[in-house]
Amino acid sequence: MGGKDAGLEIRGLSVADGDRWLVRDVSISVPPGALHMVLGERGAGKSALLEAAAGLRREAKGSIHFGAAEDGAAAKQRRALAAFNPREIPAVSLTVTERLLLHRPPRVAGVALHRERGRAAARAIASRVGVESLLDVTIEALRPLERRLVELAAGVARGPAALLLDEPTADLGPHEARQFLATARSLAEAEKIPILFTTTWPRDAYPDAIGVTILWRGADPATVTTKECTEAALVQRWTGGIGIRRTPTGPHTPGDTLLRVEGIVMEGRGRETSLAGIEFEVKSGEVLAVVGAPADGLNLLHDALLGNRVPGRGSILFLGKEIVRSPRRLRVEAGMTFVNPPIARDQSVPEFTVEENLILGQTHVPPFARKGSLRYESIRGNAVRALQDFDLPDVTPRTRFRELSLGARQRVLVAREVIHNPRLLVARSPAQGLSLTEQEYVRRTLVLQCERGSGLLWLTEEPEEAMRVADRLAVLTAGRLVWIPVTETLTREAIIAEMSGAAA
Amino acid sequence: MMAAGRCRAGRAEILANLLLVLVLFAGTHALAIGGLELNPSAWSAPWTGDVVLVSAGLLFLGLAVLMPLHAGLLNLAVHAQFLAGFAVGALLVRSAAVDPAAQAGLGLLCGALAGAITGMVVAWLKQRCAIHEVLSGLLLSVAFAPLALALAVTRVTPPALTIELSALTAPLSWAEALRLPPSLVLAWGILLLSLAIALALLFAHFLRASVWGFEVRASGSNPLAAVATGMDVDRVQLTVMALGGACAGLTGALQLWTSPAVALERWPFPLGFAGVAVAFLGLGSVRGTILAALLLGAWLNTPYASDVLSRPGYGAAIAALLLLPVLWTLPRLFPEHGAPRAIWRTRHRESL
Repeated sequence: MGGKDAGLEIRGLSVADGDRWLVRDVSISVPPGALHMVLGERGAGKSALLEAAAGLRREAKGSIHFGAAEDGAAAKQRRALAAFNPREIPAVSLTVTERLLLHRPPRVAGVALHRERGRAAARAIASRVGVESLLDVTIEALRPLERRLVELAAGVARGPAALLLDEPTADLGPHEARQFLATARSLAEAEKIPILFTTTWPRDAYPDAIGVTILWRGADPATVTTKECTEAALVQRWTGGIGIRRTPTGPHTPGDTLLRVEGIVMEGRGRETSLAGIEFEVKSGEVLAVVGAPADGLNLLHDALLGNRVPGRGSILFLGKEIVRSPRRLRVEAGMTFVNPPIARDQSVPEFTVEENLILGQTHVPPFARKGSLRYESIRGNAVRALQDFDLPDVTPRTRFRELSLGARQRVLVAREVIHNPRLLVARSPAQGLSLTEQEYVRRTLVLQCERGSGLLWLTEEPEEAMRVADRLAVLTAGRLVWIPVTETLTREAIIAEMSGAAA
Repeated sequence: MMAAGRCRAGRAEILANLLLVLVLFAGTHALAIGGLELNPSAWSAPWTGDVVLVSAGLLFLGLAVLMPLHAGLLNLAVHAQFLAGFAVGALLVRSAAVDPAAQAGLGLLCGALAGAITGMVVAWLKQRCAIHEVLSGLLLSVAFAPLALALAVTRVTPPALTIELSALTAPLSWAEALRLPPSLVLAWGILLLSLAIALALLFAHFLRASVWGFEVRASGSNPLAAVATGMDVDRVQLTVMALGGACAGLTGALQLWTSPAVALERWPFPLGFAGVAVAFLGLGSVRGTILAALLLGAWLNTPYASDVLSRPGYGAAIAALLLLPVLWTLPRLFPEHGAPRAIWRTRHRESL
């Protein structure tokens, strides 16, 4: 069963978690040497599907076949035949060489490691994905793309019958995602193995995947080929045809300067690109979008704005006051507020109720607290109003936050941040991984806040998102900002070209 | 509104713990009847009120673990805090300068203070040097044991202070030198149990209704979010460790003035760690911990418990039984499986 030159076939697979279906009746066929994409929002069951295919999770119904075998492979066989790369790659202190040899290190007499042979083997594996120059670098120091490529190479080095990649492009910029998927495709073709990967981005299907399976909660899975379906048609099919406008509320008229960032210089961690003198300002009533890959300085800039790291040089002035060394608490008290990606762990307390999450960070001032005691009447009233204003009719103030869908969670968090009318909103990929309807809701809500006079700084790795919301747009590349005029003729490709340095 | 000291477990865990208590009572009874030579005097002895005092001690120790648990700290330094309280109390007893009449009150106060300082040291080590409280707690327990033994009032080793599993093989005469009248036991017991229950209920109330309690719960459930929203997680954890340490230190000092209440000495493993058993048997909730302390106090005072625990083999088996709830409660504290997630962290900041 299985082996190389064999395809992967999933027939009528259903996976459940207790009495809840994670995926139902999914059928996918991936020929050897091809990439197949599974598209869906977070929580649609993509990971469960891959874990079941890899034998890491028990299937409720259906079967998984490697090659031409008529009988489905048992979980134990699947674990041996398939290589599974999870979404989160731990930032370990192993070197690339050690990581690549983790599965089968060359040994002397079966005991000691054979250093020279090992290094040669690691070099051979690494060269297949173009990371042979990084053999002595630790995994934690690598850029996200390099980590993904190393994991890809390590997966292929095991000689699997199929490679299963869970959201490999989640932490990559669009140009990096393209490079990764092109490398994956060339490896699949060379090894003649099928690769099945999941994503939340429809763009990842092109140009390398041959087919796309769309998972949509409440609907039957649908599979299309990329030849018969353009990206726009794919989005249409995924969303059921909701309208997405280019700019939710039209252009805005900027007012006073709220935030002024001057000459920020900041050293990157590991092989991350350093910031080399970033300068910009955000005015009230405008949306400034900064697009860049996380490792190209976007994470660093976000950290500097959050107060997690102090830049080596430069200043950050908020309402004319230097805040470069102020902790996040003081920034929030001064009128800045932050909305992070929905999966960020520092925004909410899942064990708390919705009403408690709605007052996080606001318990030291009236109306939610008085003389050290919480005022639950005010807290409840605030929650009722927020849930009403943000269209969450099925959620009650006492619902546990962890029980909400990802989209509803992000709505609650956005509500918390905008309801007290902040002076400046710093949004970092606030719609990442949500369904397109939820993405649109979150974007629209944040941009609408500008019309109430707030400034909005939007940090994202997704050019399309920036194009939809921006009044002004800058691309963060090689640690510097490149300003791009927002016009009707601006295309995603132009931004990606700037991000990858190809525009120069 | 989050229920005060809400139970972190489901029905299965509650049922498992109730079953365990039943096994404890029925098992020791069966063992005493079936396999031991009974001590008739123990069976016919009048009720002395030990159960009240023992429950109070167990509840204080339970709170010593429970309070930090809500803020995301696994206080395995509870034994070190207990020993610190005992050592300081013993030092006062030895000191001729202190009026014997004032010794008890002052001893308890100083014991609580010593426990609180030990707790704060553990929290400080975690914050400044990233030494996990489990490691520093266990190391401090080992380091304090000789000190407590050296300062003990008589040369007879108090069993509750030893690190190894010890059996009750001799009458507990070590504290007789204090010569306290037995009539004090009940009075002490009622006073201390009232204090312990009041403290537990006050903690539950603050946890639910105060800004401080909100911060404790937030720090325990998700310290990353707590820090990001402006809470001083380090200060919160330092405070709860001090409070927990004070409870454990007070129980330690209490050992010197409760010699007739020997039931606590029947505990089958180092007494400080009784707090772990009580808090986990109570499934990490305030109500559960009060109930667990009362039940275990009653169990220790049954006439057959003393007989059974006097056998090393049985003592070890019962110790294992008492720590069983850790098996099904602790996994719920791992990240992604419930609160408090902070337990496995030493730092509270991360970047995207």
